[in-house]
Amino acid sequence: MRRGRILAIKWGMNPNSSSLGVDVTFLLVGATVLAAVTPMIGALLRWRRRVPVDTPSATTDPAPPA
Amino acid sequence: MKLGTTLGRLAARGFDTALAVVERARQAHRHPPRRARLERFGAILQLTVPRALVFVDRAFARRVLAIQSESENGNGVVRPAIWAGVETALGDAPLSAPLEAHLQLTNRCDAGCQGCYTGASPDGAPNEWGLAEWTRAIDHLAEAGVFHVALGGGESAVLPWLGELADHARRRGIVPNLTTSGLAGLDRLVAICDRFGQINVSLDGLGPTYARVRGFDGFARADAAIRALRAVKREVGINVVVTRQNFDELDGLFAYAAQRRLSEIELLRFKPSGRGARAYGELRCSDAQHRAFLPAILAAAKRHAVRVKVDCSYTPMLAHHRPDRALLAELAVYGCTGGDFLVGAKPGGQLTACSFAAPPPPPAPGADRPRVTELRSYWDAPGAFGAFRTWSNAREPCASCAYHALCRGGCKVVSAHAAGDPSAPDPECPRVVDHRAADPTHRVHLPVV
Repeated sequence: MRRGRILAIKWGMNPNSSSLGVDVTFLLVGATVLAAVTPMIGALLRWRRRVPVDTPSATTDPAPPA
Repeated sequence: MKLGTTLGRLAARGFDTALAVVERARQAHRHPPRRARLERFGAILQLTVPRALVFVDRAFARRVLAIQSESENGNGVVRPAIWAGVETALGDAPLSAPLEAHLQLTNRCDAGCQGCYTGASPDGAPNEWGLAEWTRAIDHLAEAGVFHVALGGGESAVLPWLGELADHARRRGIVPNLTTSGLAGLDRLVAICDRFGQINVSLDGLGPTYARVRGFDGFARADAAIRALRAVKREVGINVVVTRQNFDELDGLFAYAAQRRLSEIELLRFKPSGRGARAYGELRCSDAQHRAFLPAILAAAKRHAVRVKVDCSYTPMLAHHRPDRALLAELAVYGCTGGDFLVGAKPGGQLTACSFAAPPPPPAPGADRPRVTELRSYWDAPGAFGAFRTWSNAREPCASCAYHALCRGGCKVVSAHAAGDPSAPDPECPRVVDHRAADPTHRVHLPVV
């Protein structure tokens, strides 16, 4: 199975009730640091207990090739 | 700055962060927040430590979510309905529901700030909702899959039921966050502040600058509120509306945030909305200030070791400095995401694309405007949120801009005010300013005397 990838990480919470705030502190350190942090977030997500999600109207596909 | 001071500041920040993590973990244990939501591109996963919404593709989502069921027995794999179509890229289509909803719980406020984007007054808005209606709204938002709500006003800290509503949001897996002026309702807020994820106090200047921006001297009261909240809660920050008057004081505001050991500073662009429409010409930043914005805030963030956020409307000013597009995308830095990543609701529950935008028109003559409790049915309606969803039909200079897929044409509220058309390119974007300066049809012709 393909491992998949993290597309984006939106850091922190947005208390501002008028617009969407994004953390740009990473622009200080650049892509290198983010590239190092992203695998750690991936590992954290894989490490935590699998999260059940609602799939109210699921469809069945043929099984992917082995 | 001396190395010792910097190290001391970083150590204090590390200590505060560690304690905040403990508080957050306790709160998440009491009321677990929503942890995931499926999307066409894959899924959005929420982490409590560190605080983040993580956007992942379908393959990654399959690895970390329990979405394969008993029918995965060699013959088939259950596929959720939302994954029935082709896997899209993040940003190609609106999300299945907003990440967060901005609820203007009341339009009551005694402060009378000259630039107030809601035009708040001591009387508030007609037909404001109460606890029962907002509780139902939270239920609807939870069912839609919303992760966070940002509660504001007016001044929502004066509402006697604010804590109850925050509790209800927590019970429904939504993290409530709050913006307050700090000018009223402080004692009550201090008692319930542990229920919120993050609280930011609006502070638009230090000392006399506060009065120049807001029209009255409220700095001492806002500062007292920040100190009172910070004494009992670690995740307290400040919101700063950046104006022509306080731009040169940004470094001082970062220093203030560091001195008070605040968790963040969030910088907001001035919008011509509410009373702000009248004050727009006087308070909005100059073109030179917009061009200098990003280097100035990054330098200040570095100097004072303070985490910095900017609001969605600043994306054109970030793009002006040609940052790595992939990095911006990985940080989920988008321009206008009203009616997509976020929605707003007026004090009477009317749904809006963002807090600055007017509610969409009624779906039929004589019908009411859509309410936030009708989010799920309105979300997928044809033409929902109008120009906020049609940003990809851009004109120049947005159409050829390498950052357009992220920026989405800038702030539609500014465009609507300045150009009379929300889908017009953001007139304060440096690229748009340059484009117009080079285009003779946009030149202003002075009268010949």
